Amino acid sequence: MPETLTLPNAPKIPLRRYLKQTKDDALVAPATVDAPSTVVVDHPDSVVMPATNDFEKWLNAKPQSVTTINIPAGFSDQTPIKLTGPVDGGGLVHITIGENANVVFQERWTSTGSMLGIAVAIDIAAGATVNWLAYDAFKADTVLLQRTVNMAANTTLNLTVAGFSQNSGASLLTTNLNGDGAEATINVGVLAAGKQHLGYATAVTNFGRKTVGHINQRGVITDKAHLVFNGIGHIVEGARGSDAQQENRVLMLSEHARGDANPILLIDENDVTAGHAASASRVDQRQLYYLMSRGVSAVVAKRMVIRGFLEAGLGEIRDADLKQELFDAIDETLVNADA
Amino acid sequence: MTKLEIKDLHVKVKAEPEHPEILRGINLTINTGEIHALMGPNGNGKSTLAETIMGNPAYLVTQGDILIDGESILDKAVDERARLGLFLGMQYPAEINGVTNAEFIRAAINARRPKDDQIPIMQFIKQLDATMDQLKMPEDMADRYLNQGFSGGEKKRNEILQLMMIKPHFAMLDEIDSGLDIDALRIVAEGVNSMRGKEFGTMIITHYQRLLNYIVPDFVHILKDGEIIETGGAELAKELEKTGYEHLKVGDANA
Ligand SMILES: Nc1ncnc2c1ncn2[C@@H]1O[C@H](COP(=O)(O)OP(=O)(O)O)[C@@H](O)[C@H]1O
Ligand SMILES: [Mg+2]
Repeated sequence: MPETLTLPNAPKIPLRRYLKQTKDDALVAPATVDAPSTVVVDHPDSVVMPATNDFEKWLNAKPQSVTTINIPAGFSDQTPIKLTGPVDGGGLVHITIGENANVVFQERWTSTGSMLGIAVAIDIAAGATVNWLAYDAFKADTVLLQRTVNMAANTTLNLTVAGFSQNSGASLLTTNLNGDGAEATINVGVLAAGKQHLGYATAVTNFGRKTVGHINQRGVITDKAHLVFNGIGHIVEGARGSDAQQENRVLMLSEHARGDANPILLIDENDVTAGHAASASRVDQRQLYYLMSRGVSAVVAKRMVIRGFLEAGLGEIRDADLKQELFDAIDETLVNADA
Repeated sequence: MTKLEIKDLHVKVKAEPEHPEILRGINLTINTGEIHALMGPNGNGKSTLAETIMGNPAYLVTQGDILIDGESILDKAVDERARLGLFLGMQYPAEINGVTNAEFIRAAINARRPKDDQIPIMQFIKQLDATMDQLKMPEDMADRYLNQGFSGGEKKRNEILQLMMIKPHFAMLDEIDSGLDIDALRIVAEGVNSMRGKEFGTMIITHYQRLLNYIVPDFVHILKDGEIIETGGAELAKELEKTGYEHLKVGDANA
């Protein structure tokens, strides 16, 4: 790596330090995809991915498992297309969604390893509606992950990232509202425990006119974990009539838990609406007292407050089984943290 | 549970140990079947008394005791006291995002039942619907987040909903009349009156006599400057309505 790196905008995330480490370089079996036959899945040797800075170049470096998924125009199915990441490595995933398609998609990552790089690029063609769930439950030591979404005119994206991993590292999520009328809601719910150091940079850029970008991040931190949320909303010049909103909140449960919530709002156009809110707080004793005053135990009261807090990040998850799985994971982490 | 006794109770705010006591020797006995009203000017310790009985950790008992059926509850945490049968309809209920009203009330009911005998969901919903109906609460309030964005009046009504669903033995209702218009007041009062019976005692805290036209108390106590300075029947409240608190003993009436 050169001394002077070009890096994406990700305050308080030590990308420079991470990039000094080498990526796990064994070629692993690629992601598996469960989809109807009209969806074309392939594993070519290489694929064109974003490569505008040294972080992306690091992600793209071979050897690398590659998966491409092509969802045809007009595709319409509410049964989720499921992608499961490699069990023991990272890789590249490139997904194209055709015009006016209506897609429900689930990604699930539980990969092991020491230093994984994962890049997922999603191109959404005009008029398509996409419901996306990324369930990150990595078991690797360190993961550097980037998701990039490009949205054409009149597309709608509802994306939830459920961060329940054990790794440290960075998660960059960039959504480009390129076409007029594109609308994205990005929800992120993260549980950080143990000695995890996690940084999220969740960015939405309004390029097109009358585009809407909403970012909603919620993180719960226990033990000695450290979680950074950056929310980056950018309305570029010319994106008239656009809206950029964001809310970044972290809840710290233990004395040594550390949390940061940094809202960044860049507005280069006049005729727009924008807003942000951020907080890093501890469990409100008044809330606990209120719940307990109706007879629920301290443990149950605390779980209610925490689940309620995360609900804003994970509330859009429609898959009841998955939601239960997440809540079970929350309970388990809290039980361990209480002990 | 039939008797709640407050004996020579002295209380300080825990965070302000240098500050003088807020309650300075309260004596009070409430039996189930009785309705007590606690009145007095603002800032004289009414909420402090209710919160201390409930077990709010912000308050410190420096002297005296609180007993249920002869047994001290001072070393019991707030949730234990609740399960024993105490309830406090709070003056300022907390707002909790992401937890629905219905989910919370069900958890509160189940906290009182054995693990293998939790309330069946259909039975719960039926009971909740009927009670909300009685309190003229719109259906969607069951699925709204607990007190989140509720108006002052909605919060009070929600406290009474919880009271009626949980069915405690002793309820302290702290200024449930504030923020209610006269129709709402009547509905809430009817709710409380429907709880009346041999198994239920209550202490109604209010600044105004108005509420006591609808919930007629057996006893009225006047709390001023951390002490109960007078006790009488329902007529005492009526008298206060005319004369105000000013003539009652010395003390710092800052209402
Ligand atoms: N948690 C608290 N922290 C600091 N001061 C308090 C607290 N609770 C009560 N006080 C003080 O105690 C006094 C009595 O308050 P309160 O019990 O709320 O009166 P009331 O309910 O009669 O209006 C007031 O001077 C009030 O400021
Ligand atoms: Mg008060």
